[in-house]
Formats: sequence, C-alpha cells, structure tokens
Amino acid sequence: MKKKFLERLGKEWLFFDGGTGSILQKMGLKGGELPETWNLKYPERIKELYRGYLNAGVDVFNANTFGANRLHYPDNVTEIITAAVQLAKEARIEAGREDAYITIDIGPTGKLLEPLGDLSFEEAVDIFSEAVKAGAEAGADLVLIETMNDSYEAKAAVLAAKESCDLPVCITVTFDENGKLLTGASVEAVVAMLEGLRVDALGVNCSLGPREMMPIIRRLAAAASVPVIVNPNAGLPVTRHGMTYYPVQAEEFADLMAQIAEIGVQCVGGCCGTTSEHIRQTIEAVSKKKFRPNTPKNRTVVSSYNREVEIGETCVIIGERINPTGKKAFKQALRDNNIDYIIAEGLKQEGAGAHILDVNVGLPEIDEPAMMETVVRRLQAVCGLPLQLDSSDPAALERAMRIYNGKPMINSVNGKEETIRNIMPLVAKYGGVLVGLCLDKEIPSTADGRIAVAKRILEAADSYGIPRKDIVIDGLCMTVSSEPKSALCTLETVRRCRDELKVRSILGVSNISFGLPQRGIVNAHFLSMAMQNGLSAAIINPNNAQIMAAYRASNALLAKDPNCSDYISAYAGTAEINAPGPAKSTEGQVPAAGAQSLHQFIVRGLASPAAEAAREALKTAPTPLTVIDREIIPALDEVGKGFEAGTTFLPQLLMSADAAKAAFAVIKESMSAVTQTVKGRIILATVKGDIHDIGKNIVKVMMENYGYEVIDLGKDVDPEVIVDTAIRENIKLVGLSALMTTTVLSMAETIKLLREKKPDTKVVVGGAVMTQEYADQIGADAYGKDAMASVRYADSVFAEN
Amino acid sequence: MNVIRDLKIDIDEALRYLGVKDNAQPALRSEMQRLADELQSMIQPRFTFRVFSLKHQERDVLLERSGIALSGEMSAEMLKNSKKAVLLLCTLGAGFDSMLRSMQARDMSKALMLDALGSAYVEAACDAAENELKKDFPESYLTDRFSPGYGDLLLENQKLIFSLINLPKTIGLTLNSSLLMTPFKSVTAFIGLSPEKTETEETGCAGCTMSPTCEFRKEDV
Repeated sequence: MKKKFLERLGKEWLFFDGGTGSILQKMGLKGGELPETWNLKYPERIKELYRGYLNAGVDVFNANTFGANRLHYPDNVTEIITAAVQLAKEARIEAGREDAYITIDIGPTGKLLEPLGDLSFEEAVDIFSEAVKAGAEAGADLVLIETMNDSYEAKAAVLAAKESCDLPVCITVTFDENGKLLTGASVEAVVAMLEGLRVDALGVNCSLGPREMMPIIRRLAAAASVPVIVNPNAGLPVTRHGMTYYPVQAEEFADLMAQIAEIGVQCVGGCCGTTSEHIRQTIEAVSKKKFRPNTPKNRTVVSSYNREVEIGETCVIIGERINPTGKKAFKQALRDNNIDYIIAEGLKQEGAGAHILDVNVGLPEIDEPAMMETVVRRLQAVCGLPLQLDSSDPAALERAMRIYNGKPMINSVNGKEETIRNIMPLVAKYGGVLVGLCLDKEIPSTADGRIAVAKRILEAADSYGIPRKDIVIDGLCMTVSSEPKSALCTLETVRRCRDELKVRSILGVSNISFGLPQRGIVNAHFLSMAMQNGLSAAIINPNNAQIMAAYRASNALLAKDPNCSDYISAYAGTAEINAPGPAKSTEGQVPAAGAQSLHQFIVRGLASPAAEAAREALKTAPTPLTVIDREIIPALDEVGKGFEAGTTFLPQLLMSADAAKAAFAVIKESMSAVTQTVKGRIILATVKGDIHDIGKNIVKVMMENYGYEVIDLGKDVDPEVIVDTAIRENIKLVGLSALMTTTVLSMAETIKLLREKKPDTKVVVGGAVMTQEYADQIGADAYGKDAMASVRYADSVFAEN
Repeated sequence: MNVIRDLKIDIDEALRYLGVKDNAQPALRSEMQRLADELQSMIQPRFTFRVFSLKHQERDVLLERSGIALSGEMSAEMLKNSKKAVLLLCTLGAGFDSMLRSMQARDMSKALMLDALGSAYVEAACDAAENELKKDFPESYLTDRFSPGYGDLLLENQKLIFSLINLPKTIGLTLNSSLLMTPFKSVTAFIGLSPEKTETEETGCAGCTMSPTCEFRKEDV
C-alpha cells in the first residue's frame, strides 16, 4: 500500500523533479509557444519528459500545468490541466513508479496584483482556484505553488488551494540574491506569512543557482518550522552570442546539493536548466547524507509586504492613534469616508517610531467590515508597517485578515468561549499573532486570576492548532487612580507571562493614567516598569515625546540598545528633554521670529514655518478670513503666476501648495464655528485601464489648495462609476487623466457616457499623451496642460454662477 | 537576468523631465540629489535581453524564430544595415512603484521629483545595459534604442514581446490589457547590431511623432 505524501513529508528525503522549459525546447518547443499546449498536441513528448524524471528516481513530479490558468488559456484551461495529470498518471504506470506523487503545478498569473498592478486579490484567488480544482479532480496528489515572487500573489494561491481541495499544499518562492521577493518581502517575512496560512512545506526555487542560494537557504532553515524545499536553477544564466544557457553541469550541481542537504533541508530538486541527469546525480549524492527533520522555531513574527517585526526580547511599539475612541475629528473622518485623514494618522506614527500600527475603525453608524478592509488596503498601499487589526466584530476582522498582505496581529480574544469560537478559527485559517486579553466575564483583580485566564486562552489555541508563539497575552492596564494596586497586578502578570507561561506580552499602556492630570508622566514611567518586567509590545501614542523618551531610555538601560545607538541617534544634539521630543524638523528650517511673513513661507514652500506663521497671524488679524485673503491667496497666486511664466517649477508649486495647506489647517481650526466655504466639488479619476496616477494626484493637491473639494475616484476607474458618481453628487466638473494612447479610448468612452447621462457636467482632460487636438477630438470641454491650467479652468467653470 | 549596480543618475536629465530649465534653485537640486541617493540605495535596475537574426523583407523586418516582424518606416530605417538586433528589457522593479506610492501619501512634491529621477534612472540603466552588450558584440555597432509606441512602431508589438519571453518571471515585468507595463519605470527596446556605423535620418526627438507637442523635447531639436 502506497504511503500518503504527508506521511513521508518531513520524515525522510523527498526528491522533486527539475526543469521543464529547456527540455521541451530540445524537443522542439518554439519561442513564444505555450508549453502547456503540448499536453494536447504532443502527449507522447510530455510523457517522455515525465518518464525522464521518474526513471531518475524522483518522489514528486510536476504535471505540466505551470502556466495553465485562464489568463493564458481563456477557453480550455480545465482540459489542459486534466490532460497534464492524466498523462502523468500514465507515465507513472509506464515507468513502474506508482509510488511517485503528481503535483498540480501552479505558477504565477503573470499579472501584478493591486495596488502594484490591476489584478484584484479575489480575482487572483479565483484564477488559482479554477486550476487547483481541475488538477484535484483529475487526480493529482498535492498542490505545488512555485516561482512566486510576490507575497500577495503567493497568499492568493495558498488560500485558493486550501479552499478548493483537501490536498497537501507546498509552496516555493523566488528570492533575489539579497533574499528578497521582487515585491520586497524578506525570507523571514515570507516564512511567517506562509506558516500562518498553514502550508505543509515551503521553500525556494528558480532565479539563483545552488551556490548563490546557500545564504538564503540558511535563513530559511533558521526561520521555518515546516519542511523546507530547495529547487535551484543550474546556476545563473549565461548569455553567449545571444543564446542563454545554464552553466552548472550535473555533477557539480549534485555536489552543491549535497552541501545544501547538510544545512537542514528536507526536500530537494531542481528548476530551470536542470535535467533528469542533474536530478539523478543529486538523488545519489543527497541520499547518502543523514536526514534531519526540521524543528519548531519559537519566534513570534508579524509581517507586511516588505518587512517582518519580531515580538521578542525587545519591546516593540504599536501605534494606537488609528482609533476613534474619544476623538471627534477621527469619528467625523470615518463618517465622511475621509480615508486620507486616517492614512495621515498612520504615517505620522510611522515617522514617530512605531513598529506596528493598531487599526480600529469601529463606529456604530458605519459599515465597519467595509471600512476595515478599505483602510487596511489603503494603508498597506503606502506604508510598510505591519498592522494590528483591532475589532470586536469577527466579520470586520475576517475581511481584513483575508486581504492583508503578510501576517497581521489580531486584537483580540479573551477568556470568553464566544470570542474564542468566533476568532480562533480565523487565525487558524489566515494566520496571525493573536492578542489574548486576561479577562473573562469579569476582570480578575489578581495576577493569579489573570494568569489562569491566559492559560485557558493558550489551551484553546492548542485545540485550534494555533502555535503558542502566535499568542500574545494582554495582562490588562486598569486605571491606577481608582484602584491603587492595579499597576502592581498588571506588572506581575507581565512578568509571569515571561517566566511561567513563556509567552509574549502586550499592554495598552495609556489606560493606566486615566483620570489623572499630566497623563504622559504616568504612562512613561509605567512603560519603563513594564519593560523591566519583560513587556514584549506596548500599545502607545508614539507621537508623545515623553513616552518615546521613556521607551528609548529603558531600552538603553535594559541592554536592548547596543552601544545606546538608537538613543543617541534620537537625542544627540537636541535640547534638554522637557523641550518635547527628538529632532523632528524634516525641513531643517526654523523661522526666525517675525523675520518672514506667512506669504513668504508659502512662496518658499516651507510647511511648518507657514503653519507657525499662520498661528501668529491669527493673533493680530481682525478675522481668520483676512489671513486667507491677505496672505495665503496672494502667495498662492504669486507662485501660480511664476509657474505659468516658467520661472517657478512644478515641484516648487507643490511645495507651496503643501505650505498653504498647513496654513489653511491652522486657520480652519480657529474657524470651526464659522461656515467654511468650498468653491466647488470636482471628481478626479484616472480612466479605465490606466494605473499610473501621479498626474491625477498632483492635480488633486492643487485643486484642494485652491479651495475645491475633490472626490478622488482613484485609478483604473470604470466609466459607469464616474458617471454614476457625477449624477449622485450632482458634480459640475470632472477631471480625467490618461497616460497612454490606448487608454485615451476609455477616456473618450467616459466622456460619451457622461454626455448621454449627465450633459451639463464639464470635462477637463490631461495626461502624458494628451494634446489640445486630442482633447477636442474626444469631445472634452478643456485640455488641462498642467495642474495650474486645470485649476484655472475649474475657476472659470465655477465662476459662471 | 542581470542586475545593475553603482549607476549614476543624471540629475540634470531628471530636472528636464520636471520641466525645470537650467536655472534650478540650489535647494531643489540638493533635494534631488538626496532623493537620488536614497533611490539608488533602495532600487537596483534589472535587465535581460535576447538577440535575433534579422530577415529584411519587403514590408517589414523579421526577427527570426520569434514571431515578431517590425513594420513601419522607423524600423526599416533604424535596422537598414543590421543583420542582427537585440531586444532589451529593463525595469526598476515593483520596489520603485511602492516607494513612489508611499511618497505620494507623504509629500507630493518629493514624489514628483522621485518620479522624474526614476525615469532618468531607468534610462541610465538601459545605457549601462548597452555597454554590457557592446562587450558581447565587439565587432558590431549599436544603433539607437527604439521602442514600441515610438514613431510608427506599433505599441501592439508589446503583446508579442511578452508572449515570447516570460518577463513576469525573468525580471518581474507585466503588461496589462491597455498595453501598459507595470512596474512603471520599464523599457522594452530594440537595438540594431550593424557591421558599420549607421547614419540614420530621423533619430532622437526629431524622429518622434510626439515631437511637435512634447514638453520634454530637447532644446536643440
């Protein structure tokens, strides 16, 4: 009776096959011809390929389905995959190797996922699911996802495999020589994400030869707990006289693979340029080496698309500011769907030194799951910090966990059966580091009580198959002003998490000072104490200089900051500590008091001085509006005219716009009672098929600073969405951007639809290939030669009434 | 796949893309230099290439064993003395796009500068790749680069190029249905290999169909 794949995986050497493309080329595959077409066209040749590897002695071989997805085969993907697996079964019998396992081989789609490209995450999942189902139904033994160079696409493929079959799922990804995926993720970040998704084995293939791969394999073996697969190319490709070939011959390849076997990997094979002879010799050489199973690693790691953060010996900072609790402006931003405001809160905390950002967007009157998904997407598009998804609504958590690129933190479960039942299955499926709050129906008032709850949470995690390293215990901060011993109880719980439970800990530090004056003082000192008791993660406000000072000082004192280098780089050369904060002026320009006017700061494009000057100007000006009319508007006008005359350039125009924006923000605060007027509302969008949006974003900045409210529909926008929004919001002016001659067509289509459905709306168009002539041809009302010209046109449209 | 390191980004070229004439303020120039240094430390361009024998036909130039035939006057002119041609593919990679998107959320002005620097960087990378090619073909002269979408060379050739080479896998380059490449700072170009130095009539800006309206046209054209 044949053993199942999973009974052997990780317990003995398993040998995978080698390259496909170069072998098929020798059999006559032409450049540009899709290899999978041969499953139908030349079944005998495909079987010959399979038999070559089976005779060499592989345990696992790939059905010829690497590129078989609906993007490449819109009409017959299932037929192609079914044939590939069928031929593999026949070859297995013909070679007398019925013990070998057939993979459904899944390669990348060939498209980049959003936000880098235009393929949506769910569409990618769908494309992979279709292929996996076809392969599973045809009788493949396992899924091998390979050559993935984007963590997000890898996640889509793993989810698809898990959701559409019960077969084991293995994955190998492609790192460059620096140990990064093309989209930026490190070896450790990738391992964290994939193990969170519960793949059965993971590893590396393609791009590099065995020699270049060795440093990466060492990192993989050090990070991974599951079995590791290594399938290198036959060296780095060499081009001579226009021909590409792989230089490492079978014998040398096998020697190198034997060295790799000693690093502590469990499965080996080859990729581009390797042949059945490479694999035969590799099997011979590696079989002689002692097999060592992989060992569980105990690191607690969260990740994003381009970095990993370890929650370990050194406390990490989790920024708490993306949270509406007690914040009027934040609540209003949620109600207004003002995502930019929320993103800005995140970026500010990143600048202040946060390692992870907590994301809580719960408000009773909004659709929290939708908002959570939107904010996570938008944040991940511009910020590489890992996120802590914070919600009491399991639906909101699931939406965010699914589309999150990496391995997130999840906040939180507690000792109540209900939260465990709702949330732990999500963590088991999508992966994540889960915060467990030491509370139950009530909050235990002793450390004993809290540790007991923590134990129950850990046991529950065991039962869901979530490793204990992925649980972080929150010992609960209760306000010290109402319960004198509460801080002591919390500190003891933190210490016992480290010493007794041997798990990581987390605290929402700021709660400790609730109800007290000068809360920063209490928070800062409490943080130092908690860190001394072994706190692994602190949820705080990183914008608060006092608490960050306590954090940096404690790290230095606890020997967590080698040579005090972080401390020194933050504070060297700064004024004494009660001048708040480390050096943070990014402009390096401090206004000499009174030396320059608001007008000049805007013209010179200096944001912080402009804000400061606006504050000063408000003290003497009769009304806030006079500051706008006498200082800001004339300054913007001067810069705009300079731009039109060719003496000021676009980067300076934008810097001035930013400075004006900073000044406006100060003035708006003081005018909250006065009605703020908006000149008009404008839709901006980059048209369907076009995903380059910097031009549109520049126009947005300018429009906003000239007093317009912009509804930014983003990039790759369907004509229907633009037209429907124009109708619903009764918009007078739409600005469209297109980069390519091909996408000017969808611009024309958008204008046509707009003319039919909402004829009174004006359209201004711009973009790299746009000209006045082109604009006239497609029926636009105006050609925005540049951002300033678009503003001037908007002024003329809204001046009419 | 080859990685290019230690390139110098031409700040003047990037300033030209920004529409900045020769009177750039020192502050702008030094900010550009700072961004250029950051860009170079974060991003290394990659390129790959293929070489084809050419068959000059009545209506087009055929790249043998590729399924690609280049029609139009520009290709005929550029390749008139060439027996072989190189297809060069070069990109800054998705890392640049992430960097640019992230910068747009922080500081639009710097994002604009970064965008221009990225364009200058990928051009410099293509130049460096050409220098590598010259070493491979010491007996040949290289013509100017020309790309699908330039002059009368159809943009549709991009589809053929992408079906010929697995560019998502080799250098992480993809094509969308509008024939737009991502990552954005990417170049696909043909270069003729000619036994003698070829004088072509309309190269550079003068040969471009955008020439009459282009903002970035070099001044001396």
